[in-house]
Amino acid sequence: MSNNPLTVCIASGKGGVGKTSITVNLAMSLLKEGKRVLIIDGDLGLANVDIFIGLNPKTSIRDVVERGYDPKVSVCFPRDGLGVLPASSGVPEMVSLGLEEQLRLEGYFRELFKSFDVVLIDTAAGIGASVIWFNTFVRSNLIVITPEPTSITDAYALIKVLSKKFNRTHFQIMVNMAENEKECKVVFGQFNKVAESFLGVKLDYIGGLTLDPIVPKSVREQRPFFESAPRAGISAALKKVALKILAIERDLQTKTA
Amino acid sequence: MKNIVDPVKLCPAEREACPLVEELASLRKEVAHLRKLIRIDALTKLYNFRHFKEALTTEMERTRRTGLPTGLIIADLDHFKSINDTYGHEVGNMALISAATLWMKQIRQLDIACRYGGEEFAIIMPGTRLAMAAQAAERLRSVLANRPLVVDGHQITLTASFGVDCFQSGEAIPADEFVDRADHYLLKAKKSGRNRVCFDDVGMKDRGTELSVDERRLLFTGPYAAKSNDRDNQWQSKRKNKGPNQNVE
Repeated sequence: MSNNPLTVCIASGKGGVGKTSITVNLAMSLLKEGKRVLIIDGDLGLANVDIFIGLNPKTSIRDVVERGYDPKVSVCFPRDGLGVLPASSGVPEMVSLGLEEQLRLEGYFRELFKSFDVVLIDTAAGIGASVIWFNTFVRSNLIVITPEPTSITDAYALIKVLSKKFNRTHFQIMVNMAENEKECKVVFGQFNKVAESFLGVKLDYIGGLTLDPIVPKSVREQRPFFESAPRAGISAALKKVALKILAIERDLQTKTA
Repeated sequence: MKNIVDPVKLCPAEREACPLVEELASLRKEVAHLRKLIRIDALTKLYNFRHFKEALTTEMERTRRTGLPTGLIIADLDHFKSINDTYGHEVGNMALISAATLWMKQIRQLDIACRYGGEEFAIIMPGTRLAMAAQAAERLRSVLANRPLVVDGHQITLTASFGVDCFQSGEAIPADEFVDRADHYLLKAKKSGRNRVCFDDVGMKDRGTELSVDERRLLFTGPYAAKSNDRDNQWQSKRKNKGPNQNVE
């Protein structure tokens, strides 16, 4: 599995729906399942992944791009088997990388990926060039939605762009910040109906998370809830998502084998 | 052409085999040659064809590397042959100069305007998307059509047809093909009546990936849809006295 790691992009369109929180805690969960995980903070100008984990990195993707640093040097290892490639904070230029820089980064990434089983890329909000770029070079697209109409519309718009302009056909959907599990299923149900009929894409529901005060608390404490509260309901729900992702990947591998 | 000067008149001592005159003749030759080298068309002062080819290749390379598109306008003066036949080549040249001068004033510092052929012009617009390039072409069309040539108190209306196209970074086509594409729209402009701008406006008509009203309406169901419809109805009834609003359903 290590030569062709599972690469997942976590996006949403709308900001503040829990992408980074989900990325970090999903990584922790996958780690627990014995996988070597790399997190790439794809919010290149406004780094957040490092904050969620309580890291204070000395180098970032910026040094790779601007100073030609070896990307392996910029990866931090806050836990055994967990690599984090941080973004920079307060660098607007990183948001509009030119094509050439993007291609070069892509080359570095593919080298880096070889030492991991799963790569999670946390993207910025919106449908800007960097968001599109990350979403098009991974194998799997995970879209996070909340029950809010704004989140649903933005996620739909993102999926529409990715499917119509970039030929992405499959998306994994997670519902976050719901009242309860029923709401997760209702929200996904309607979203799926519209997406399938208007866009002809396949959406896989991989799980939902409900509102839980543990989450904002864990952000403030800069400690992922999967670590600080492993027996909480939300951690269990997240574990289910991680297992679902791994199961889908296993099915895919056996089909192609 | 006034290059052939009476050699006797030029010479200060009015001699026949004058070294000054010979020097002058060879300098003039050199200037003409240099002009070719610096790629300027002598008549219109625009870039010439050789420069156009190189510049276009460079801009397409830039597009591939930076991701910013390159716009291309190809223009052709309408009924140019008949202007030449009716009024003579001097007037024909004046028409070319007039168009070139007017257009040079309209384009941006970074645009590259060339005399592409006899009565054909090409303008390369770096970093420019199709919509903007098409708007620029429309300005060129309008400014030319609104400024007739005046010769001996005679007004001669000048118009041109324009083809516009855009090269994006994902595309893998050579410069010739890009030019052919723009040419195709120029031909369309000619065939559909001249004095117009043609380009691929299909993309603009179908609104691409923008969400339709139906998609937006169907995305939220149950309690959300009901709530927002109610709010809409309440708001609409409050507005009844204020007249219709075009922008809501």
